[in-house]
Amino acid sequence: MSDIVALSAARKAAAPKMRIGLLRLADGAPVIVAHELGFFADEGIETELVIEPSWANIADKLTFGFLDAAVIVPPLAFAVSLGIRGPAQPLVIPYTLSAGGNTVTLGRRLAEEVKEHSRRDGLTTVEALAACLRGRDLTLGIVHAYSTHNLLLRYWLATAGIEAGRDVRLTVVPPAQAVEALTAGQVAGFCAGPPWGEMARRAGVGATVATSRDIWQNAPEKALTVRTRWAEEQPEKLTAALRALLRAARFCDDPENAAYTAALLSRRKYLDVTPHAILAALPGGKRTGPDKGCVFFRGAATFPWRSQGLWFLSEMRRWGLVDASVDLRALAERIYRPDLYRGAMAPLGEPVPAGDWKHEGAHDAPWTVEAAPAPIALPADRFCDGAVFDPEAVPRPGKPVASALHKI
Amino acid sequence: MPLRILLIDTDAERARALEEKLSQSGFAEILRSPAGPSLAETLERTRPDLVIIDMALPDRDVLEDIRGVSAAHPIVMFAGGDDPAFAEEAIAAGVCSYNLSGVALQDLKPIMASAIALFRRYRRVEDELAAAKALLEERRLIERAKAILMQGRKMTEPAAYRWLQKKAMNENRKLAQVVAEFVAQHDADAASQRAERKQP
Repeated sequence: MSDIVALSAARKAAAPKMRIGLLRLADGAPVIVAHELGFFADEGIETELVIEPSWANIADKLTFGFLDAAVIVPPLAFAVSLGIRGPAQPLVIPYTLSAGGNTVTLGRRLAEEVKEHSRRDGLTTVEALAACLRGRDLTLGIVHAYSTHNLLLRYWLATAGIEAGRDVRLTVVPPAQAVEALTAGQVAGFCAGPPWGEMARRAGVGATVATSRDIWQNAPEKALTVRTRWAEEQPEKLTAALRALLRAARFCDDPENAAYTAALLSRRKYLDVTPHAILAALPGGKRTGPDKGCVFFRGAATFPWRSQGLWFLSEMRRWGLVDASVDLRALAERIYRPDLYRGAMAPLGEPVPAGDWKHEGAHDAPWTVEAAPAPIALPADRFCDGAVFDPEAVPRPGKPVASALHKI
Repeated sequence: MPLRILLIDTDAERARALEEKLSQSGFAEILRSPAGPSLAETLERTRPDLVIIDMALPDRDVLEDIRGVSAAHPIVMFAGGDDPAFAEEAIAAGVCSYNLSGVALQDLKPIMASAIALFRRYRRVEDELAAAKALLEERRLIERAKAILMQGRKMTEPAAYRWLQKKAMNENRKLAQVVAEFVAQHDADAASQRAERKQP
């Protein structure tokens, strides 16, 4: 009997820590900061950070319960929940970790060609790139099929009439291998998170021609995903984790902390690259010019907007990554959980948006969103083609689309 | 037919030992590949049935992409210093993925054998599914062809079926082929007739 008690006690003691997986990317900064600076501990939770080599590992370990949570690209959280890349495992996204930060980085010669073309003929960067890609059978690297990078790059190229698969090949290149692939000529360019575009520049093999914001201003990027079961079983722990992350987000967004954060992330056990490459992607990290890197806190960057989840899903459907029978809106509602966010942040007196949905891409200039207790100033959120994404316009299966015929 | 196994492991010692064991078993043809950005190319070229990869390599994302798009479904086995319980969970969930760390080499053969059995079963289920789908399609086409004959030539159902069978026998071809062609021809004729009617 006592053995059994001892055993179950040992089991409990064996996994008290919240295990959070992440890759070697600068946009996971708030998680590393919250862990290293003791913000998680201050909220009363013990955390263990696990640096994984691939998105596939993150997805599998979440699926089989070897991670409780992870820094994830939202399309992959949808893919895991739907079981379209392995066994299904329900996940929730109660928190957005970052906005922006990805780069479209091309081999030096191609980048020169694009810039030259753009200058000479007065074309936008993507138009010039399109002209350079046509008829050349080039390959561009993305970090994973179910990544924001795949969706953003396809969106951007499509605005200039370039279709992936027809005019250009897309292949998966893990971010940490992107520089090597570019050097070896296996890809003509890539879209990846920081610091890998900067690393390519430093290695003298690539130049960045566009960033997330050239495709979608203030584009949501990484999110914290948590196994649904874990979130349901320990709501207090989740609340504590989200609060710690918000504190870390505020820290990371402060330009004064950029150098410190970069040094922390550059450690061997985390990104293991020079802090200078990381610094360029952090708020305030660039000595000149406007920030083109990550945003962690400003403008409700941490809020899990359901409309953003639905945008990812609509784009996944557009490119055939999600079956037509899936009710996208219901799925966005099930996985994106602003209610959990509100539950954690509202008692702190933090301003929290009043709604879960907004029109994406509707603002050319900074604007104000209704929030409690005080409105929040949000940055411009334009898409490169000026499109406005209305969540209500996404068709639902089972409900016939109201057409002109019905009104006669 | 031996199984083509692509082995990607940065631990040269372990890779060599694995290769030796697998070759001895006689059911496998071992291909070696270095890790790195050329993996997609290597897979394209070698088209392996099975991939054994060190889980600590980022190349798994490349494999995942290929697994998603190709019908060949290479199965990934993990080697590496990871939690062995992870592999158990993965296998229990039907993923043909193993963790080979801490496994003595003499134990490798049964593990490989079960992985391959799992893989073969998967292949068989896929094949059976394809066969069942083909059969369903054939039945559907026969029904349509009979309906066309019954309506157009005022045949009874058994007569229509005999007519189709006889046609297949005379042409010395499979019933499925004859029926598919017959239905396609009928649809094409109907479409062209419709188009003609639309002409002023």
